[in-house]
Amino acid sequence: MSSRFPLFRKRDLLVFVLAAVLAGAGFLSWMPQNGAPTAVIEQNGEEVRRITLSSITQPETLVLEGEISVTILLEPGQVSILHSDCPDQICVHTGALTRPGQSAVCLPARVAVRIVGEISSGIDGMTG
Amino acid sequence: MKLSLSSAKKWTVIAAALTILLVAILASQLLFSQTSAGYEATSWAMGSYVQQTLYGGEEEDTATKASSAITELENLISWRVADSDTEKLNSAAGTDWLELDERTINVLEQALSVAETTDGAYDPTILPISALWNFDSDEPTLPEQEEITSLLPYVGYEFLRINTEENTASLRKHGNGVDLGGIGKGAACDTALEIYQESGIDGGIIAVGGSVGVYGSKPDGSAWRISVRDPEGKAEDGLGVISLQEGCVSTSGSYEKTFSQDGVTYHHLLDAKTGYPAESGLVSVTVVHESGAVSDALATACFVLGIEDSLPVLKEFGASALFIDEEHHITIAGELEFEQISTSYTVSRQSL
Repeated sequence: MSSRFPLFRKRDLLVFVLAAVLAGAGFLSWMPQNGAPTAVIEQNGEEVRRITLSSITQPETLVLEGEISVTILLEPGQVSILHSDCPDQICVHTGALTRPGQSAVCLPARVAVRIVGEISSGIDGMTG
Repeated sequence: MKLSLSSAKKWTVIAAALTILLVAILASQLLFSQTSAGYEATSWAMGSYVQQTLYGGEEEDTATKASSAITELENLISWRVADSDTEKLNSAAGTDWLELDERTINVLEQALSVAETTDGAYDPTILPISALWNFDSDEPTLPEQEEITSLLPYVGYEFLRINTEENTASLRKHGNGVDLGGIGKGAACDTALEIYQESGIDGGIIAVGGSVGVYGSKPDGSAWRISVRDPEGKAEDGLGVISLQEGCVSTSGSYEKTFSQDGVTYHHLLDAKTGYPAESGLVSVTVVHESGAVSDALATACFVLGIEDSLPVLKEFGASALFIDEEHHITIAGELEFEQISTSYTVSRQSL
């Protein structure tokens, strides 16, 4: 193929690679919102934070101030209620949440942490 | 405009690249919409966190309707709500029959049915005692023995009378009181499931605190999987998973509402016979039944009764149950699909 206009030049290949990368990026940026486990943190019915668990790279605490203050610990791949001023401590005892369908609720503080995402391999709800 | 051959080819390549990009994005959207996580809605009602996940149909509209219907039900049956049916019934105790909303009568009737079958192990007229312990307050304290002794005679399901034809009810003695806290969350699940059915969505799951109801099917057609919480909170993935095709599941656990005084921990599952927290060697009971209200009330009743005395009751209602005792043993009674996850508990099965 020594024609003056070969079917593909290196530059054309570059455009294809660029398109493929863009498509891949689009695919990946779309996926976490729908598939990957995502922590949703609510206080008094308002969503205060939504974060994909896999995107957490180092531990972070989130303090939700209120009549009853609650501290939430975000870690790579998991989220837990670290501390609550509530009397029963059920929320703290729930432990770390890692999978869609899991939730930890502090009723007195009206704070809820739940994991949403693709649940075909996980659970749909919790009792107890 | 005249394009050179190289320029025309360049545009062709760009167009092709854009097409690939578009197809890839569309394909990813299609792929994920088919395995979608469903429409989720959360709210607070009945003193609990309410979670709904709906699939296929008018999901948002249906979730909103279900949420409002649950709040309406709460405003009818909660004794704490001023002017609720239950508050009116309690205020009129010892006087006349009252005409009440059909929804209230329905819940009262289910409550009475479980109370009669369990000989008061679940008792909707526990209010004089439950209000005394007041587990929902910020700082509950141990009541005096004399107070409990003086109020116990006012507790008894036989004081509650219901006329389902006229939608009326009455409490016989002044001082009687109804507390539907042990059945309300389950009844709320029933309310949501009715709305799911009417709205024609493909499937949905509702959780009101520890009561969960399922309707229809998920996009992949698999059974609904309900995780049973580890009472000690150690196993992060829960004790195990109950699979349900339809119906409701409710749990009563001694770890839910507690307080400690003088080194003793008191829990909220009161025995209407003694006026004190039930001691049956159990930590929690999970009951599966087609009706949420019945599963909720039975969970309390079975906790009070203990395993052995619960078996005939479960059989009578066509329910199944999972008991967790203080010895870290799980007893599964009746037909119940349970997949164990935590290995720190032993499991046995008991036929009904």
